[in-house]
Amino acid sequence: MDTILELQGVSMSFGGLKAVDGLSFDVKKNEIVSVIGPNGSGKTTTFNVISGLYEPDSGDILLKGESVAGLRPDQVHDKGISRTFQSLRLFADMTVLDNVLVGMHSNTNGGLVASMLRLPSVRREEKQMRARAQEILAMFPGRFSGPRQSQPAFSLSYANRRRLEIARALASEPALLLLDEPVAGMNPMESQEVMEQIKNLRDAGHTILMIEHDMHVVEGVSDRVIAMDHGVKIAEGTYEQVANDPRVVEAYLGKRGADTAS
Amino acid sequence: MASTFFAKLKGLFGRIPRWVYVTAAIVLAALFPVLNSFDIVTTAWIRVGVLSLLFVMLALGLNIVMGETGLLNLGYIAFFAFGAYTTALLSSPKFELQWPFVVLLVLSTLVAMAAGFVIGLPTLRLRGDYLAIVTLAFGEIVRLTIINLQPLTNGPNGITGIYPPQPLGEAITTWLEGLGLPEAITNWFVIDKPNEYYYLVLACVLVTALLLSNLKNSRVGRAWNALREDELAAVSAGITASRAKLLSVVLSAGIAGFAGSLYAFYSNVISPESFLFMQSVIVVCMVVLGGMGSIPGVILGAIVLQALPQIIREAAGAARSEFEVYRMLIFGIIIVVMVIFRPEGLLPDKVWRREVHEEDPRELEMTRQSLFDLEEGQKDLEV
Repeated sequence: MDTILELQGVSMSFGGLKAVDGLSFDVKKNEIVSVIGPNGSGKTTTFNVISGLYEPDSGDILLKGESVAGLRPDQVHDKGISRTFQSLRLFADMTVLDNVLVGMHSNTNGGLVASMLRLPSVRREEKQMRARAQEILAMFPGRFSGPRQSQPAFSLSYANRRRLEIARALASEPALLLLDEPVAGMNPMESQEVMEQIKNLRDAGHTILMIEHDMHVVEGVSDRVIAMDHGVKIAEGTYEQVANDPRVVEAYLGKRGADTAS
Repeated sequence: MASTFFAKLKGLFGRIPRWVYVTAAIVLAALFPVLNSFDIVTTAWIRVGVLSLLFVMLALGLNIVMGETGLLNLGYIAFFAFGAYTTALLSSPKFELQWPFVVLLVLSTLVAMAAGFVIGLPTLRLRGDYLAIVTLAFGEIVRLTIINLQPLTNGPNGITGIYPPQPLGEAITTWLEGLGLPEAITNWFVIDKPNEYYYLVLACVLVTALLLSNLKNSRVGRAWNALREDELAAVSAGITASRAKLLSVVLSAGIAGFAGSLYAFYSNVISPESFLFMQSVIVVCMVVLGGMGSIPGVILGAIVLQALPQIIREAAGAARSEFEVYRMLIFGIIIVVMVIFRPEGLLPDKVWRREVHEEDPRELEMTRQSLFDLEEGQKDLEV
């Protein structure tokens, strides 16, 4: 199988705190990999390093064999890594459709002058973009239909805003999709639905790396699970392997708790 | 009672399609000088019209950075000065030059764009208050440089005797004049009357407004709006922040330079007094008053703030000089009242209205409710 993403000994510290310490793992094509770990274990920092918001202190990040470490976020996005945020970051006052269209920025090329003159090439591209946006929004059946597309993003329900963020990230047809807690704050029925949708994305050929706290979802979708604690990878494997790993139990429950549990 | 009346009125006007308003506005604007031909309005009013249109163009340009990209620029008039001085130096007795009209329009635009690039490159990493301070300083530096660069700019005396524009160029104009065409046509070979300037500037404003409205729903315009809404999310969606911001600053500077060139031709004389900090503030007020991000709003804002003082001055009659003293006070009061009671401007842009009223829970609840109803309605259809 092709390797899409490879982290090689990535470290990142803030002052004296080593948020990520010598982290190495890879994500293969068409795979869903989940990163789990207690709060403060460096999961979101890892995402921020991969997506270019932080530059790693050491180590390398390879996307399809090409280094993306130290690039700006927009350059990383151009290379094919697209992400969502744990705390929703939609363009709240823009419409649902416009949010998705902004997501297509890096794989479209209407320039300033061409757009001002509305040249045929720009009109054609705009038409294609809108058609593509409809396809993407249709991946979430019934959620973004008809008039709702011209509503501002802030008017959507919480779960729909999370879905819209995924749709925006998908708009650039990324090689790798980073989902930061895609079902956070959802009720069980909603997370069940999003879980199915994430599986559908993999079946449609997407590669996904996600952070998730909801173990039902992690169990339900992951091909592989990586557990982190204090910035270090403590376990990797199938859900069962990782969930039963004594170090993982210790990380979540503490040493005494782990002893009692076993 | 009153509120339902206004709601009904709003509904009534809301049903008229947008193009009707636009056509009506263009026709009204085009007919204005005709009133002058029949001596209904004086030539002084046509002059007010030309200046208003020039400020419309400035406000449209500033709206790109302020309204679309969300960057405050308090030295915007400096770009206007760049355009005006470029034209003045190359088409006046100062250096005995008379470059062709069209070349000067383009060159003035390019010079202002270059100035925008030079000031934009180092300052765009600043945000909010800091950007405001730097642009303010930039505006003042440009003005003081003009005053002190005596050999080039004549300092405070300004440059006089700028030649009137010949849109077709000198050679063709001379040749055509030899053909013995009727005066109605030959009049347009040299633009030197207020009515002619009025139509020239009106045409330029219409083209600018059209080009900018095309941008609004384009990839570039959306990128600017995304940067304004959430810069981190925008860069993570693949938008290169520095490039997009620089593009908006350079474009807005270019429009100001273009307007500056027209202004130099029209006013015949330019001096540093026309490029005071106050002028920058007035353009900012025009954008805020009309509605940030809204092209019709900004046009209305510029006309109101440019024409209003003139109307009041006429009405004041003998107390004219007294009015001059209070002009800025009245401006200030208008802006304060607007910001309190209608922060989204006179003719607001949809997105900006939402941004301003974001924390209004009633509106949010109403939108939610309507969506809920919609959902329920769909369920009914399915069953």
